[in-house]
Amino acid sequence: MKSLIKFFSSVKLAIVLLIIITCASILGTLIPQQRSAAEYAVRYGQLAGLLIRLQFTNLYHSWWYNGLLFLFSLNIIICTLNRLSPKFKRVFQPRLRFETKNINSLKIREKFRKNWNLARTREELGREFSARHYRLKEEKKEARSFLLARKKTLGLFGSDIVHLGLLIILAGGIISGLGGFKADLTLFEGQVLPVPKADFQVRLDKFETEFYPDGRVRDWKSTLTVLENEKPQLSKIVEVNHPLAYQGFAFYQSGYGWDWESPSLEIWVKKRKDPSFLRKLEFKVGQRVSLGDDDIQLIALHFLPDFIINDKNEITSRSNEPNNPAAFIEGWQDEQRIFSGWIFAKFPDFARIHSEKEMDLTLELRDFKSSQFSVIQASKDPGVNIIWIGCGFLMLGLALAFYWPIREVKVILEESHGKTEVTAGGIASKNRDAFQSEFEKIMTSLRRSK
Amino acid sequence: MSESTLFLVTFIFYFLAAFFYFSYFFSKKENLAKTGFSIAFIGLLLHTAALIMRTVESGHAPFTNMYESLSFLAWSAILAYVIIEWKFKIRKAGALFMLVVIAIMALASSPLMPKEATPLVPALQSYWLWLHVSVTLLGEAFFALAFVTSIMYLVADSKEKKGKAKKTGISSEKLDSISYRCIAIGFPLFTLGGLVFGMIWAYYAWGSYWSWDPKEVWSLITWFVFALYLHTRIVMGWKGRRSAYIAVLGFLAALFTYFGVNYLLAGLHSYA
Ligand code: HEM
Repeated sequence: MKSLIKFFSSVKLAIVLLIIITCASILGTLIPQQRSAAEYAVRYGQLAGLLIRLQFTNLYHSWWYNGLLFLFSLNIIICTLNRLSPKFKRVFQPRLRFETKNINSLKIREKFRKNWNLARTREELGREFSARHYRLKEEKKEARSFLLARKKTLGLFGSDIVHLGLLIILAGGIISGLGGFKADLTLFEGQVLPVPKADFQVRLDKFETEFYPDGRVRDWKSTLTVLENEKPQLSKIVEVNHPLAYQGFAFYQSGYGWDWESPSLEIWVKKRKDPSFLRKLEFKVGQRVSLGDDDIQLIALHFLPDFIINDKNEITSRSNEPNNPAAFIEGWQDEQRIFSGWIFAKFPDFARIHSEKEMDLTLELRDFKSSQFSVIQASKDPGVNIIWIGCGFLMLGLALAFYWPIREVKVILEESHGKTEVTAGGIASKNRDAFQSEFEKIMTSLRRSK
Repeated sequence: MSESTLFLVTFIFYFLAAFFYFSYFFSKKENLAKTGFSIAFIGLLLHTAALIMRTVESGHAPFTNMYESLSFLAWSAILAYVIIEWKFKIRKAGALFMLVVIAIMALASSPLMPKEATPLVPALQSYWLWLHVSVTLLGEAFFALAFVTSIMYLVADSKEKKGKAKKTGISSEKLDSISYRCIAIGFPLFTLGGLVFGMIWAYYAWGSYWSWDPKEVWSLITWFVFALYLHTRIVMGWKGRRSAYIAVLGFLAALFTYFGVNYLLAGLHSYA
């Protein structure tokens, strides 16, 4: 047990762990994470199986990476605790009877004789120190007085507060990992959906996309209402960077899309030989409409928002954005299909209509409407507030460790024949130059005071 | 004067400052370094004006594309230099550091970097953009200074070992301590801007404060390297060469986080 504690209190272990974790993290950024086994097989060939088995392909969630983080945490805890009690002792029960040789070994020191008795020298020195916000501890023994003047003692604990902050952050991460969850809610305007693992619902009142004048997207905005027992509790416009928070849940604008299954199409039918002929038809995909004369009926069988013929010669949609909208139309007459083919909203002249007979009709896809939905990510993260607290400690600790360095001055006053010998030394682990000049100022002004 | 002209004039000032610093480097005339410093300082003021103009014209923070971000990095670097020079008088480092700044400025003005201000994509419309990027880049500017002083340390140290050091230069010991001081400023800034503000912004924009995105991981790696620097130094008493190597490594990690990740690794951060 003792040797285990010794092992985990070592800073050398910390350095080894830090190096290993850093190298592992680098590997994790070089190997794409969480892809399919097939992709790894293409990328790494023979090695793929090994990489997957050793969890290099899901490194940051692997047992061994997290095991390293666990060892690292243990290391921080034990190392910090181990050093804490000597630090407390140094702050609250300092040894005041230092030896003269003790002071003589310090780099910043001074020694002189003052023409005053001890009491007066002590008083003047005390005034100098308190003017510079030092606090004094004192012990007297016979004709000698030992003084310890200190300030910014909290700085001593800067590193411990940093380490505490880190541990809190790691704990928050564990809590997030265990207790957190995420779910995507796909909502059409007006739709109400229950929030998973919660006893309330959300309703999408409105979804809109705002554009810049040049056509780029400026923002997506979903007006959400939280309902409890069908009673509205709270409404907010959710946009990117502005989630809605409710009872430990947060709702984010995470995506959007269109329902391309049954859009409503506007198709114009013209006749080549008769320019005055024009029928404007509006119907949904799957619906059959009559042209009115010749007993011709039209039906739209498919709609693709982003028509493409891929390299396997299949017709599909490249994306869900309406970049190249196309509809597949059939024409029927007397229970017989007389033509069929694709028409394109952006390329009216480029219809690919096949027809058994000579055909006089032209079809144009003039417009299409489909309902748009908004994807709202609902997430619950019970660790997040702990993370912010940890960050607070981390920053406070860093500020203390780097910018609030402890200052200590040890002084021995020794009276003989009405005069006092002053032996003083200062300790500063950081920013020694500034401390030295303060030390010298204190000593000089004591030496010169009449 | 337009923003791009102002940027160009700034660039010229930095060039002049570098020229004077180099003249000082070789001739050791104090006045040359002082002139170099004044010119760099005027450059900093002009650069500040250029950044303000950019912000006013585009209506958003001046670091939303690579050109803006590089320009801001150069500005942070000069700011860091002015602070450190004013505190520690590291004139000798001026020449080398100006070269770094000029390299950043040259990269920013290269035709590869689109200059026009584009409207912000939704994810970037947040005041956390300001806090996250500016504080992180300022921290990285101090790492850059630590890098330069560490390189100078390595050179000075090997000269001193061979007994070839000139009396006029900064001692290697001083360089080592300045390098540490730069990291002592850069580390808290980088922690605050890169990690803390980054996590807060990611939480508001993406719904989770940490996603193991390559840019996040590389910030963490950079941070680990500097943590290594601090612990080997504070606890194990490493100084000098070994410290200098770690500082150089840390800056290279920061550089990779800044450039490499965008161009070589894909992730959520790909737009900035
Ligand atoms: C990434 C993780 C870590 C960070 C960011 C960190 C940060 C810090 C910082 C900022 C300091 C103060 C440095 C200074 O005063 O200039 C410090 C000191 C120290 N750290 Fe860490 N630390 C980490 C991990 C560890 C671990 C795992 C150990 C365990 C062995 C450790 C042991 C120490 C010790 C012994 C000190 C000196 C503290 C003193 O006595 O005041 N650190 N650390």
